[in-house]
Amino acid sequence: MESHVTPQEASAALNAVERGRLTVIDEIGLPRWYWWGLALGWVALGFVIDLKHAWLTAAATLLFGAVHASVAARATSGRRRTQRLSVRAEVAGGYRTGRLVIACVAALGALTVGLGWAASADGANHPVTIASMFVALTILLGRPQLVAAIRRRAAASTTR
Amino acid sequence: MTRAEFDELIHPTTRLSLVALLAATDWADFAFLRDQLELSDSALSKQLSTLENAGYVQIERPLHNHRRRVRARLTEVGTEAFQGHVAALRAIVGRTREAARG
Repeated sequence: MESHVTPQEASAALNAVERGRLTVIDEIGLPRWYWWGLALGWVALGFVIDLKHAWLTAAATLLFGAVHASVAARATSGRRRTQRLSVRAEVAGGYRTGRLVIACVAALGALTVGLGWAASADGANHPVTIASMFVALTILLGRPQLVAAIRRRAAASTTR
Repeated sequence: MTRAEFDELIHPTTRLSLVALLAATDWADFAFLRDQLELSDSALSKQLSTLENAGYVQIERPLHNHRRRVRARLTEVGTEAFQGHVAALRAIVGRTREAARG
């Protein structure tokens, strides 16, 4: 049968295969609960830091880090946004996706510190809470951009 | 290295699109496949049965929220057949490009 397949037909078939891959890539994403959990946790952590109890701040930071670490591996792989499918690890980008999310969280941490200092210098009573609320809003508003970046990286990777 | 091998069972357009979707997933829900391929339930069932009989697809019926769902996954045999088929298609296109270059 192969001999009857013209190059045009073969090319069209390869296009159909690529469309299938891109369709699945469109399903890559992170569950909504992850974003809301991260945003709310961020504000809660900021609030605790503003209480200015060293041991409480340390405990809350450790707790936040531990909870995030325990859910991150599952939530940030990008493979299970919905119950409709599980994206193959190689297609979703596997650990690269997780690393991108962790890098974003680290950047948000730096942003919180910077904003906290600015608010403190401006004489705010609860500088870290204010900064973390701003960052929480950034998390919720910025999630489509991050997911789009993850999808772009997946789509640009070599067809397997 | 995948051996290029044209697969007549996979090649028909609908089946190829179906297998291409499954190849990018660990598993996919019946409704997702039906919606993406714009097929009726019976048409998709028929395609899946053909692939299942060939050992290319495994059908699972897990319970989710007290409801039984149907989902499909490509087997190892199916994955190899798909990769071989894609390699064969690339070879056809590649030969033409080489011939055009002279």
